[in-house]
Amino acid sequence: MSRSQGRSLSRSDTVLLVGCLALSVAAMLLPSAWALGFASTVRATALAPVVWLQNNAEQWRTSRLELQVIAAARDSAALAAQTLPGLEAENAELRGLLALKSRTPFGVVAAEVLHQTGPTEGRALLLGAGAGAGVRVGNPVVSPDGLVGLIVSTESRSSVAMTWAHPDFAASVVTEDGSLMGIVAPTPGAGASESLLELRGVPYSDTVPAGARVLTSGLTGVYPKGIPVGRIAGIRREEMGWERVYRLTPFANPGQVRHVLIYLTRETRLDR
Amino acid sequence: MTFDKRARRRRLALVIAILIAAHFYIRPWIASRVAPDLLMLAMMLVAIRSRPGVAAVAGFLVGLTADILSPARFGAGALASTIVGYLAAYGRAVFFPDNLVVNAGLFAGGVWLRSLIVLLASGAAANELAGSLLVWVPVQALTTALVGVVVVVFFRDWLAIRLDE
Repeated sequence: MSRSQGRSLSRSDTVLLVGCLALSVAAMLLPSAWALGFASTVRATALAPVVWLQNNAEQWRTSRLELQVIAAARDSAALAAQTLPGLEAENAELRGLLALKSRTPFGVVAAEVLHQTGPTEGRALLLGAGAGAGVRVGNPVVSPDGLVGLIVSTESRSSVAMTWAHPDFAASVVTEDGSLMGIVAPTPGAGASESLLELRGVPYSDTVPAGARVLTSGLTGVYPKGIPVGRIAGIRREEMGWERVYRLTPFANPGQVRHVLIYLTRETRLDR
Repeated sequence: MTFDKRARRRRLALVIAILIAAHFYIRPWIASRVAPDLLMLAMMLVAIRSRPGVAAVAGFLVGLTADILSPARFGAGALASTIVGYLAAYGRAVFFPDNLVVNAGLFAGGVWLRSLIVLLASGAAANELAGSLLVWVPVQALTTALVGVVVVVFFRDWLAIRLDE
């Protein structure tokens, strides 16, 4: 190889490197909506075969390795469901007495979580069900343990959920006894290993005992009322004598959850 | 291009195709966040057999794929894998990766460096960086290196590095 040829090869290498770095930085600077749209288009076209392949692998794994666990969970659910007709009748009677409207019913879609290998994977999950199954942007995602997040992007056979670990996540919540309301959001500076949320907006004069369960309040219209979010772990900080911020241990772990349910509530416009 | 060189490239492409299929079909059976990153391994295998520019493009494509499949911070994976791919190819001039231990070190180092750059580009806080880079990422780097060594040994005739490439 001549010297000039070697130099031109080295120059072309540098050009390719700078081009790739520039494209990467441009991708990072894209508005969220554009990035999600681009990713969604590629997932639905060029990457559709690999998403299909991984979804099949997850389903195989579930059917082969988790059959006993699923059977036990089904038995427990069947046992718990035996008391439901009585509760529903009682609930309808009480609602009738108070002249309350009945709750809007919504469907549910089960989906496999197609975990990836990146270090920030717990912030956004790829799910094996999409618009073809009725999934729409803004639908809440829950696991058997509690709230996982909400759908931010869908294509025909897959969708992406933003989890509670994502810095943009927030949800309106209420304590189980209904005495206090607030907003939960990820703890700034906490890693996925810390697995913590913050309950903000609680007046200084009010106190939430450690161990209290926190549920979605249903106020913002994104999450239906009553989805378990987490348990109070203690006071994180006090804001100048007018607000207490509590640490919350979430019930669901996005990094480990393998199956989720997507609530088919109405589509929600996400301002991102 | 000689017939021998073309055949070697075809065999490398076959190994890469097997790794990509395994990444999406076999890896999901390992229910853990420390499961080996076979896409990254495939990229490193290409990178140490290519010119730095080609390795940077391969890294960019693998990183972009990761970003598309898990868009927590779009572009961070592409940036990280581009840098790792380029450095892996550039490093070939410094240390010749024909030794198994050197190969394993390259694979593990690549996964660790990729994760470091992704976390930094994603705005991870200091304790998240520490927790990930000292606990989870090293284990994932080790599992990836282990699988990489098995692949290199199993396909040693196909993956032999030639100095004239």
